[in-house]
Amino acid sequence: MRRYLTLYWYFLLQRFKILLEYRANFMIGASSTIILQIAGLLTIWVVMGQIPDLNGWGFDEVLLVYGLITLAKSINHMFADNLWTIGWSYVRSGQFDRFLVRPIDPLFHLLADRFCHDGIGNFLVGAALVAKSTASLGIAWTPFNALYLAVAVLSGGAIFIALNLITATSVFWITESIPVTQVIFNTHEFAQYPLTIYHRGIQILLTWVLPYGLASFYPASFLLGREVGALAWLSPVVALALLVIAFRVWLFGLRHYSGTGS
Amino acid sequence: MMQALRRRIKVYGAFAAMAPKDYFAYTAWVWVEFIAQFLTMTIFVHFWRAVYANTSTLNGLNLPQTLNYIMLAQVLAPLVQTRTIFQFGFLIQNGQMAIELLRPVDFQARVLVDTLGWLGMYALLKTPLLLIAVILFGLQLPTSPAVWLAFGILLVLGRAVVFYFDWIFACLAFYTTETWGLSVVRVGVATFFSGILIPIAMMPGWLQQLAGAMPFAQAIYVPTSLLSGIASLADAPRVLLIQLGWLIALAILSRAVFNVAIRKVTVQGG
Repeated sequence: MRRYLTLYWYFLLQRFKILLEYRANFMIGASSTIILQIAGLLTIWVVMGQIPDLNGWGFDEVLLVYGLITLAKSINHMFADNLWTIGWSYVRSGQFDRFLVRPIDPLFHLLADRFCHDGIGNFLVGAALVAKSTASLGIAWTPFNALYLAVAVLSGGAIFIALNLITATSVFWITESIPVTQVIFNTHEFAQYPLTIYHRGIQILLTWVLPYGLASFYPASFLLGREVGALAWLSPVVALALLVIAFRVWLFGLRHYSGTGS
Repeated sequence: MMQALRRRIKVYGAFAAMAPKDYFAYTAWVWVEFIAQFLTMTIFVHFWRAVYANTSTLNGLNLPQTLNYIMLAQVLAPLVQTRTIFQFGFLIQNGQMAIELLRPVDFQARVLVDTLGWLGMYALLKTPLLLIAVILFGLQLPTSPAVWLAFGILLVLGRAVVFYFDWIFACLAFYTTETWGLSVVRVGVATFFSGILIPIAMMPGWLQQLAGAMPFAQAIYVPTSLLSGIASLADAPRVLLIQLGWLIALAILSRAVFNVAIRKVTVQGG
């Protein structure tokens, strides 16, 4: 474990050296996702400015939900973006074979190979939204709340990473996994809003099948004092279970990998 | 003269016919885009229903009108979420740009024909999505052929306007190598100001002015307003003239900008 942490640190240092070689590119990349988020946020702002509430949720309460999912997403974006690009930049080019002959875990190598600076923008937007909404709603930053938020965000990030890992594993059979990943990943957009606006079926999907709701709606509900029962506490458990399952799936796929011959 | 014209039509026609072939090479992507659009549509329908729970009209639009508009805009959305600048960057980095410029057909005309040829294919591919919207979410489509015809014209012209804008923006790829980030910015701005997420009429005045100063609404808001019944057919000639103004101005500007920018071209290997 310590060895991997040290290694990750070295990978990260190298990555930043590369990134800072092209400072303008770094800044554009890191801030580009902010623009993309602003489009969605402006919509909420414009619409919510004209109505009292969205299904009983006020503007700041919706922002809290939106901010939490954005934070969780940014963790996946910064630290596990290579799960998207594994197909075209590693497997198809034969680069992935390089990982297999090295004395470290190939999945670790894949993830550590590229810290994605584009995720920083998402992180800043998410943090700003959570800070703004908790302040306006009078949610105090007690040690308990801070810890609860940290666990919720980290668990949310783990849920994103685990689901992406499962879908990325399809790369070993079809050499390009982005279409599969994209379809599953896109369902997180449901969780940008309070789940109560959807049909029961969609709520169940977002809670038990693709549990993105555990990253945003349930923790937000808990902090706002809305009754969601045990679901307020479930995210770390589900995140851990999903990670274990995802890693198993990944190992299974890895055994079926036979290279592309390039 | 006639022969030269016929030859030209034949050459560009062949490029237009390439669009569907190109696309079917990526059938997986057809499905992904389809599912993604369906998911987003589902979210938006629920979102707007919740919005209208306590009010019957917003800025003069009622729920059926807004839903009609939002669903149609969602079907058309990918048409303005383009990444031409990233493709330019790619062409420059791997040396393809030099080859494109050496070809005996005009590079810009070829890509334009390709883009507009693709619209026919797009209509075909998105018909199932429209049907799903009709069945599941009660989307109402106009029955008047005149409305459909006018919509078709506004859409083609609007798409061409965005094409020429993209051409100008993509010339930045000759000056910077970070084209992915710029393409993300481009998509984010276009997604909001084209009217995909909210009808522009619902925005506050200053945002409406910004949207009017950008070309993206020409390809989404203008044709979608007509097809969804927010705008009337009588208004079509007026918006058509505005579109033509955009089109001519951006077409001329795009050629001028491109001619300056290619002097900068430093193809990185290839």
